[in-house]
Amino acid sequence: MSKRFRTALLALAAIASMSPAAAQQFPQYRPPRMADGHPDLNGIWQAFVTANWDLQDHEAQSGPHPEVMGAYGAGPAGQSIVEGGEIPYQPWALEKKKQNFEKRATADVSSDKKWHEIGDPEFKCYMPGVPRATYMPFPFRIVQGSSPYILMAYEFTSATRIIRMNWKGEAPTPSWMGWSRGRWEGDSLVVDVTGQREETWLDRAGDFHTEDLHVVERYTPVSPYHLMYEATIEDPGVYTRPWKISFPLYRRMEKNVQLLEFKCVPFTEDLLFGRFSKETGK
Amino acid sequence: MKPRNAAVVALVALLLLVAPASAHHAFAAEFDAKKPIKLQGTVTKMEWINPHAWIHIDVKKTDGTVEEWMIEAGTPNTLLRRGLTRDSLKKGTEIVVDGYQSKDGSLRANGRDVTLPDGKTLFLGSSAPDAPDQDKSKK
Amino acid sequence: MNRLCILAGLMAALWMSPVAGQAPKSAQKAASKGTPAAKKSPAFKTPWGDPDLQGVWNDATSTPLQRPGGVGTKDILGDEEAAEFQAQLANDLTRDRRDGGPEVDVNRAYNDHWMDSRRLKITADHRTSLIVDPPDGRIPPAVPLSPERQRARAERAAANARFNAGLPDNYRDMSLPVRCIIRTDSPPYLPTIYNNDFQIFQSPGYVTIAPEMIHSARIIPLDGRPHLGKSLLQWLGDSRGHWDGDTLVVETTNFRTDDGVTFQGSNPETFKITERFTRVDATSLNYEFTVEDPKTWTRPWTAIIPWNKIDPAEQMYEYACHEDNYDIVHFLTGARAREKKGETK
Repeated sequence: MSKRFRTALLALAAIASMSPAAAQQFPQYRPPRMADGHPDLNGIWQAFVTANWDLQDHEAQSGPHPEVMGAYGAGPAGQSIVEGGEIPYQPWALEKKKQNFEKRATADVSSDKKWHEIGDPEFKCYMPGVPRATYMPFPFRIVQGSSPYILMAYEFTSATRIIRMNWKGEAPTPSWMGWSRGRWEGDSLVVDVTGQREETWLDRAGDFHTEDLHVVERYTPVSPYHLMYEATIEDPGVYTRPWKISFPLYRRMEKNVQLLEFKCVPFTEDLLFGRFSKETGK
Repeated sequence: MKPRNAAVVALVALLLLVAPASAHHAFAAEFDAKKPIKLQGTVTKMEWINPHAWIHIDVKKTDGTVEEWMIEAGTPNTLLRRGLTRDSLKKGTEIVVDGYQSKDGSLRANGRDVTLPDGKTLFLGSSAPDAPDQDKSKK
Repeated sequence: MNRLCILAGLMAALWMSPVAGQAPKSAQKAASKGTPAAKKSPAFKTPWGDPDLQGVWNDATSTPLQRPGGVGTKDILGDEEAAEFQAQLANDLTRDRRDGGPEVDVNRAYNDHWMDSRRLKITADHRTSLIVDPPDGRIPPAVPLSPERQRARAERAAANARFNAGLPDNYRDMSLPVRCIIRTDSPPYLPTIYNNDFQIFQSPGYVTIAPEMIHSARIIPLDGRPHLGKSLLQWLGDSRGHWDGDTLVVETTNFRTDDGVTFQGSNPETFKITERFTRVDATSLNYEFTVEDPKTWTRPWTAIIPWNKIDPAEQMYEYACHEDNYDIVHFLTGARAREKKGETK
């Protein structure tokens, strides 16, 4: 078919592939393309929702240890990014979420068996998993070239994940950032993520999952400066049905902007390991 | 065999000197050469994690009590590249571990040899015995 | 059985592919002159016209960084010598020897399970050192250290000794790799005993190198922008690249000043590293680095390490490290328990 006809078809498919909400917000947009005809998603992107504090509606909060942190440690208010407002937990799970939240800013690694039992993994500088990595308050870069892989490089703890395009095959073992298989649907990059470590949380509010977590993300360019991000989340071990989140990703526009290092391991070593020192506390 | 070439001898000697022991963190930092162990136990869990995978086994003692040991293994990424997966060492598998116990006396050991009771070595080659077909992920 | 048969058998068992084979004579000469032993490969280009370095690469090799000293040490081995070297190495490293005491024995056995078997292979051009300049294949003599650096070195050595004895005082007695802060990803990239994998991604205006350990990505802009300001220091420095013909040239500055950040204890403020990546053919590229630090070495020095794509299906896997680093606690709680029992070594 002619190149023009093909391009027009792709543009139509792009509109069709977006959720109704996204399509309403933005006028029709034809993104620049890579040589293979797919949209060029290269760039540094960042979310500005406060979902990392809490995916659902939340008031401003003092955060952990206000007696030490004052306003520095406090969190802002934010509106839910969950379609329908609430995460459809199974009834038992709400108690677990509450316990998670109460112990979010604690850690106890004195026993291997209990290593991951308490504390927000973010608090311990562990890789955040998907979709949380997308809405951490840090930028990330999409690196898209002409190999069958797309790299997403996150500033938070220099985490990375490789999206294997058109890949058949499961994760050989669970990983913190999961096993990502990508494909194009019109102008949307669709990423299917399984094989995540059960220990990651979805936010600081204690929202959690099991290792059966299945996330399907969509990245759709809607303007030169925005990607629309949507993720469908399902886990029959915890939720009563699949549920969806969505929010825009903004292109970082500063001159010569680049990802910097947020290697947070050194920020956690006293917290995690200080108690085992010869001179405790050092 | 003809006399070994001096260059080759020197090269090999240098490599043996610098490579394996120093590249991996010292055995002596954690394990005790004076505490050899030989254990036979049932796998309860294998943690396919970095920087070290851990094989957890229940060891039944002669008095009937059960000790829970953890055996230090290497980086699972090497095994993944050989086609093994997390299902390759199943819970319930009986294994024999020859190694050295941790210096502090806890139930932890470095596995010098990890075999099945019939002597077959685990993890060498491309698949573990009784494992499902290699999961060589393909495009 | 005839010993030659044994040797041949070992060779056959070890050599997984024909890549570790003959090197053209011109490559041998070139390597000993300190220039890349590679023809340029015009065929490999990205759609936007940059040389194509994309893919999963492995840099395992048994060629050591430095050439062993001594009479009769050649810079290049002949084919038979190379085969003999590999066979001898495999033989010497085999777990079945069982001699040398428990530590050495366990390390050998451990290696058989977990280490990259490609590290048994000498480079395809049969060099006896990765260093190509100076011509003797060895790291240049050291410059005398300032008293301050001598002190820092001594402190680090003492910390290492405590760690190796199983009696670390605290987490700071452990190295940056053991603490899971940086590992192979700290330039220059050197072959290690496992997970010698790198994946190169490219996009218009950038080359991105992702080493497997520790899951980071070095995103290298090619547009000539300046480095970060001098007060913005990073564990892995700050890299800028440009093309010199078909070679990617990368300069990295802005290293932090922590102990162990830069290569071989060099001085982060004066350490300079330039790396060059050149695609050779469908299954290899040459990685070359030149390091200099007038406060550490008497002259700059250069090494060339081949990166290979022996297995087209080779994959990188996630190397999370800090997340499950039980060892740190084992080392520390073990030390405290032993101190309680009065153990001092």
